[in-house]
Amino acid sequence: ETIGFGHDNKADPFENPAHACTAVFANVVAADTNGEYEVEVFPSNQLGSASEHVQMVRDGVIQMTLASTGAMAGYYPRIDVLNLPFAFRNNASTYKVFDGPFGKALAEDMEAELGDLVVLGFPDTGGFFAVTNSQREIAKLADFEGIRVRTMTLPSHQKIMQALGAEAYPLAWGQVYSGLQTGVIDGQMNPVPTISFAKFPEVQKYLTLTNHLFSPYTLLINRDFYEGMSPEAQATLHDAAEECVTASRGLSRIIEASDRGLAGLMDQMEVTALSAEDRAAMVEATQPAFEAYAAETLDEGALTLLDLFKTEVQAANESAYLD
Amino acid sequence: MVALVLDVWLGVIDRYHFHWQLPWPETLARYLMIWAAMLAVSSGIARREHIGLTTVIDRLPFGLRRTLLMISDVLALALFAYLLWFGIGFATGGANKQAMIFGVSMAPFYAAIPVSAAVCCVQLILVILRDKGRQGEPATVEMPK
Amino acid sequence: MTVALIFVLLLIIGTPIGFSVGIAGVVGLISMGGERFLAVAPGKVFAGLDAFPFLAMPFFILAGEIMNHIGITDRLIKLAEVLVGRFRGGLAHANMLASVFFAGLTGSATADAAAFGRTLVPAMERAGYKRDYACAVTAAGSIIGPTIPPSGLMVVYGSLMGVSISGLFAAGILPGLAICVICMAVIALGGKRENLPVAERGATLGEIWRTFVSSLTALAMPAIILGGILGGIVTPTEAAAIAVAYALFIGAFVYRSLTFGALLEMLISTARITGVIFVIIAFAGILGWWMSFERIPQAIAEAVLATSEEPWVVTLIIIAVLLVIGMVMDITAILILLAPVLVPLTETIGLDPIHAGIIFILSLNISLMTPPVGACLFVLSSVTGEKIERITVKLVPFLLAELGVLIVYAYWEDAALLLPRLLGFTN
Ligand code: NA
Ligand code: NA
Repeated sequence: ETIGFGHDNKADPFENPAHACTAVFANVVAADTNGEYEVEVFPSNQLGSASEHVQMVRDGVIQMTLASTGAMAGYYPRIDVLNLPFAFRNNASTYKVFDGPFGKALAEDMEAELGDLVVLGFPDTGGFFAVTNSQREIAKLADFEGIRVRTMTLPSHQKIMQALGAEAYPLAWGQVYSGLQTGVIDGQMNPVPTISFAKFPEVQKYLTLTNHLFSPYTLLINRDFYEGMSPEAQATLHDAAEECVTASRGLSRIIEASDRGLAGLMDQMEVTALSAEDRAAMVEATQPAFEAYAAETLDEGALTLLDLFKTEVQAANESAYLD
Repeated sequence: MVALVLDVWLGVIDRYHFHWQLPWPETLARYLMIWAAMLAVSSGIARREHIGLTTVIDRLPFGLRRTLLMISDVLALALFAYLLWFGIGFATGGANKQAMIFGVSMAPFYAAIPVSAAVCCVQLILVILRDKGRQGEPATVEMPK
Repeated sequence: MTVALIFVLLLIIGTPIGFSVGIAGVVGLISMGGERFLAVAPGKVFAGLDAFPFLAMPFFILAGEIMNHIGITDRLIKLAEVLVGRFRGGLAHANMLASVFFAGLTGSATADAAAFGRTLVPAMERAGYKRDYACAVTAAGSIIGPTIPPSGLMVVYGSLMGVSISGLFAAGILPGLAICVICMAVIALGGKRENLPVAERGATLGEIWRTFVSSLTALAMPAIILGGILGGIVTPTEAAAIAVAYALFIGAFVYRSLTFGALLEMLISTARITGVIFVIIAFAGILGWWMSFERIPQAIAEAVLATSEEPWVVTLIIIAVLLVIGMVMDITAILILLAPVLVPLTETIGLDPIHAGIIFILSLNISLMTPPVGACLFVLSSVTGEKIERITVKLVPFLLAELGVLIVYAYWEDAALLLPRLLGFTN
């Protein structure tokens, strides 16, 4: 049987975490089911946008996709709780949180709310968000003042930028490069690999490793299709999903460390890391604003998730590897 | 159209003058445009403005041409009837999807598809009854390129 | 195969292109089996239209209509006349030059052909030019309109393929000017043979100055549009909305020739023209999705690459396909249908996205003047009453010259990307 798997990244497993994840997943499924299931991948938005992919999985037109938080938000507004800014201490903390009780609770809540989907995991999209701009080095909270930053059309992302003192304008992805190039906007925020692949260093001078957001994919499969599989095949699916998540994390870290990531960006841009005090000032400025916004716009279920998220993140931040 | 122009102006003025950072002008413009475009499609049907190739059909004898043009109209009607039928499901499905920026469901925006398909069906039935395949050279509009 | 066959059959029996695309797409969905695939269509129609940059198209059309209505076109023609009217074939040269001025106002070749067919062709006839020659010159110049920005075709290409529209605009300027120069050369070289008339007297400096001043309002428009986009103040869509505002302002307060009734009519006609284009875009969403699912673009790409993997051969095949299909089909429709199939090929052979875009746009523009389906020929023929066949004969040298421009820009990347690189849109 064929599993149609659509996503919105290029079909090169060394190019982006999405396809690394997909390729590993397809390989494990084909090998471990001895060819009973075959994954047919539709990369590069061939079938539509990320949001359309989710709808297609729900309708059973294709069976699987990797949905960004932006794409999920339309169907599952509670995912906004992941946008709590400056939450994580490091990448390892994100692994613990999404592999632990919070990841499980989030997956269960999504499945209950949506009904027609099964959540298989939360692969890495390329790590933490960084902010680039063309105006000045951003090292302190005050440096954000008046910088016009492009954000996705997510209200919470806008709120965070505004809480930092920047101006937030939504702009379609296709217009971001030329918008930055011509100066319609001054800056943008994205994970380091995205900044590198989108060639933003050509049009942006300053990069600040704010690490203010972590926005994973949600690996989704159609529920009817999933329930039609044998228990053995389902078990294989979960194994494959775990390996896919691991691969996405590995490739993200490798890209960050290679000349296609931070090392490469350092040659082309002025890179700034935040001091502990400056980061604390930004936490101070953004977290209460985000929580006020969340209390105002999100429902009871979301706030319960947000509480669990904060507890789990804190535990992960305080724990050490193999400790 | 006027609303569209005003909406886009607002986006620009906001960025340079007011700094309200309104999140919605761009999204609103897209959804307004889809409504306007889909309704414009139906008005094009009434005036038979949709461009087609007429080189072959113009050289056919009258009777054959009339039959083919009728078939063509009926097929178009079938297309829009189909779009109306599945469009209703699409728009009601949109009730469960949020337009993040407005905090409302996508249903009123998605409704552009079934509503305009319904209008197109009505227009097509009217032009079929009006012309009965006797439309002369299907009009060539001045098409900007 | 069935889908392609049905599509061609529908086109032959005269079904509008947009509907043919839609029906073919739905037949494709049916062939996949299962109601869930049929339910995909409305979403694809919606998503097909859901792109902010598309808005630039109706805005540029509206701005052009207003400028045309309030008599700006006539001023531009007059300016071109006083500048180059004194030479042999002066009015023919003026026609070309006016096309360049006009190009800065509109993105449309047919608007150029219609406007000049009504004004310049009769004027050239009165001055002793043959009507077929006057029409040929107008047709040759009309494609400068969508080559020099703004250009509706570039908006569609950029939105569909995710290429910077501003970058495409920058890349269009030089080829547009090159077409003007080379066509003027054709006029000059053929001047004696065609026995083109010579004006009795040239314009005085005073006349030139007065005409220039009176056209300033019109010449400011391209400056506003291009300056706004390339200078980083607005996106192309926003520039288009501002162009509308500017045209309205000039019409209402400077020339005072714009009435509410006329404006309403222009709004309606803009909506109609937009509807005709957008129906194709909308239904192409269905057909395109079916093609992606069945992996047809990959199959076509493999077939082409099986012929040859030489970049220059692949480029040549793409140009040939566009020119040949452009002979029988509307070019916006071709762009919408074929760009998703052919552009991946240009990626395979390592063509810069903006360079590939310019090749597409030049090829399709040139096909606007080739029979049997050359929109500019249609318009000119219907406006002037001249036979398409007669215009075509006189058009041949211009066509060859423009093909030359196309070849140069297709194979000389440094020339094609000179401005986009200079302005930083590509590297
Ligand atoms: Na133009
Ligand atoms: Na043509």
